[in-house]
Amino acid sequence: MAIAAPNAVYAVRRRRNVVAVALAIAATAFGLIWLVLILADLLWQGFSGLNLAVFTEMTPPPGSAGGLLNPIAGSLMLTAVAVAIGTPLGILAGTYMAEYGRYDKLTTVVRFINDILLSAPSIVIGLFVYEIMVATLGHFSGWAGAVALAVIVVPVVVRTTEDMLTLVPDTLREAGASIGLPRSLMITKIAYRAARAGMVTGVLLAVARISGETAPLLFTALNNQFWSLDMNAPVASLPVIIFQFALSPYKDWQQLAWTGALIITLAVLALSITARVLSAQRKTS
Amino acid sequence: MSVASFTTPTVIREQAHAVGLEEKVSVRDLDFFYGDHRALKSINVSLYQGKVTAFIGPSGCGKSTLLRVLNRMYDLYPNQRATGHVRLDDEDILSPGQDLNLLRAKVGMVFQKPTPFPMTIYENIAFGIRLYERIAKSELDDRVRHCLQRAALWDEVKDKLGANGLSLSGGQQQRLCIARTVAVRPEVILFDEPCSALDPISTAKIEELIDELKEDYTIAIVTHNMQQAARVSDFTAFMYLGELVEFGETTTIFTSPTDRRTQDYITGRFG
Amino acid sequence: MVDVALQGGAMMAADRVDRLKVLQRLRLRDSAFRHLTRAAALAVLIILSGIIVSLVQGSLPALRTFGWGFLVHEVWNPVTEKFGAIAPIYGTILTSFIAMLIAVPVGLFISLFLTELCPMWARRPIGIAIELLAGIPSIIYGIWGLFVFAPFLQQTLQPFLINTLGAVPGIGNLFAGPPYGIGILTAGLILAIMVLPFITSISRDVFEAVPPVLKEAAYGVGCTTWEVVRYVVLPYTRVGVIGGVMLALGRALGETMAVTFVIGNAHRIAGSILAPGTTISATIANEFTEAVGDLYTSSLIALGLILFVITFIVLAVARLLLMSINARVGA
Repeated sequence: MAIAAPNAVYAVRRRRNVVAVALAIAATAFGLIWLVLILADLLWQGFSGLNLAVFTEMTPPPGSAGGLLNPIAGSLMLTAVAVAIGTPLGILAGTYMAEYGRYDKLTTVVRFINDILLSAPSIVIGLFVYEIMVATLGHFSGWAGAVALAVIVVPVVVRTTEDMLTLVPDTLREAGASIGLPRSLMITKIAYRAARAGMVTGVLLAVARISGETAPLLFTALNNQFWSLDMNAPVASLPVIIFQFALSPYKDWQQLAWTGALIITLAVLALSITARVLSAQRKTS
Repeated sequence: MSVASFTTPTVIREQAHAVGLEEKVSVRDLDFFYGDHRALKSINVSLYQGKVTAFIGPSGCGKSTLLRVLNRMYDLYPNQRATGHVRLDDEDILSPGQDLNLLRAKVGMVFQKPTPFPMTIYENIAFGIRLYERIAKSELDDRVRHCLQRAALWDEVKDKLGANGLSLSGGQQQRLCIARTVAVRPEVILFDEPCSALDPISTAKIEELIDELKEDYTIAIVTHNMQQAARVSDFTAFMYLGELVEFGETTTIFTSPTDRRTQDYITGRFG
Repeated sequence: MVDVALQGGAMMAADRVDRLKVLQRLRLRDSAFRHLTRAAALAVLIILSGIIVSLVQGSLPALRTFGWGFLVHEVWNPVTEKFGAIAPIYGTILTSFIAMLIAVPVGLFISLFLTELCPMWARRPIGIAIELLAGIPSIIYGIWGLFVFAPFLQQTLQPFLINTLGAVPGIGNLFAGPPYGIGILTAGLILAIMVLPFITSISRDVFEAVPPVLKEAAYGVGCTTWEVVRYVVLPYTRVGVIGGVMLALGRALGETMAVTFVIGNAHRIAGSILAPGTTISATIANEFTEAVGDLYTSSLIALGLILFVITFIVLAVARLLLMSINARVGA
């Protein structure tokens, strides 16, 4: 009797395989369904509240109509400052790790620590910045919120910078060295240029990441019901407003929370897509 | 330690001096180490002004390693070091006080894989010039044109100087790299297997170029292609397992080599 | 028009000196840049040390008052100023456990699908879609969880569990109680959806790194897809998968906003997972701005310290595991 003839053992194996395949398909469907449901709910609930007023009017007291102008402005300010602080620091650190310190013990340690910071609970980072900036100065401020966000930006930028610079081939560096280029110029004028698309992608990913961060802002930038551009005082931000409004018992506040959530999600998706397109372009060039 | 590596360079040097050739680069008792592994053993060789010297030998014999000592490219990596003496004119380039950037501006290098900078064709050349000199745009344009002419590339790119360097073909990219090297006005140019990634037509063009360049520069070329070495060089050094086995005028090496190993390599017995 | 000075060979002495001057001038800037990058790299270490130091400093009053008892007492009373961390710690660990229980098998099966079963054209879109789940900010999960998911569970899954598993003696206590909608189970389920993409993404990377020859050898003797995965892929990628799982666990432990919305914020350990509870991050998020008094604030910071220590250990182990496979593969 040929071994390959179907028999009881083979039937069991085949059944197991069918079950496994079915589970795999079910698992994928399960994952995708939640994505679709969440996005659908977000669009459904948030869209009905989406109108021009959202972008032109300030947050209202409960019971009146209003918009999200001050939290949107606040979020933009906080994000801009966080990126301004975190990006140069991250790029420089990543540069050391990929260039000067590539074979260095320090780099191994920094990379390890950096990867931990990358996934560290953001509420703990909020506590840290509270201790060093709010408790010491005696008041909440937009600067503290931006610093907390910057602490989240730094590991992302360090990681992508190091990865992208390491991808630049050594032959290009040697080509720069061969015309007598000092190391710093070789890095800034050649390596950065070669890795530019990847590094920009890293910054976009960092921005996407901090756009939705709430926890670190809760006790640093706090919140602000009024229009304010003063970074030295509490600053409203979209995520914190959503937190406040969603947990409130007021219907119009809850509606604004949904709309705000939709805005954040669209922004994050737009940034992620842009980052992907950029990195795809880099691969084809 | 073979007798040939000891006496031949000295004999050659005397003969060269007798016919008025100047020694541009002089390598004496050079050892090179990757970590603890001794990759070059007591190398003694000279490069003569205005001449092309080819380094041939089987894979792993150390010829690229030797080339990369001459512009101290190995300094970019840890665990690599050289001992001995390498004189460029009257300076020992292995001495600790040597300014590496200045050295590398004097000793240019063209690599196996063409590596234009990620910039426009014009910028690739202007970049090196601007590093050292402040000159007016019109003069810079002239210099760029001159370098591209020198590299036999001008006619092909004169209408697209703003195009990215990477948009050129392999052979053109390599000539761009040669133009870039020439732009910083070196005295010595090192070619590390410059044609191995190129098609035969581009290879022929580059060999022609090397023949023209030797009027103004001292050239060293590493090649695994013996016919190329025979075509292009005035002097040839045969290396094997980290040693310089034989060195002499190209015609001598290829027609009547002294050492048995050289003979075997040239007739294709190994490598 | 070829200038004599443009000839490469004989460079005039003046040019040589000028070049030296330029290079010397650049040397200072060069050195400064190098030190700047080194300082930036050190800054990363300083940030970590800063976090640890400030957390420890902030926790001292609470730790000094309560000692090790802080870790085991359940009472959390701002009025009498008695604080104990066991309820938040319990909630943190339990919600993460539930999340991993669901997310690990589901995530691995999704990776199986994407690497072995999925048609080529669909791989990228589906992979990207799963990753989008990771990109959705946690506050979105929170608000969705509160308004959509929790009520849904209240009406479907929870009554179902109470009626079936809740009736079984023994484990029935785990599923007892009124269906609140919010609670530990709900929080765990939302966390599961949130960490799913992390497990999928890392396990997918390690699955794809399996040398095709290994898999082909197994297929070649007639193994089914499942057998190839179970006997070839999984053992080969074991370390990487565990690393990915621990990374996801680290995320789950520290997750704040999604959990805060649906956990119910009850400072006690209930027997049932359907009951409300609290986690460390939810407690801090809810109470920190209203905390009055040094002891209250310090207790909250002490909670933060505990969370940081737990996640640090988990993430460190994860990184070490992932680093070891890189070293092995030589990637």
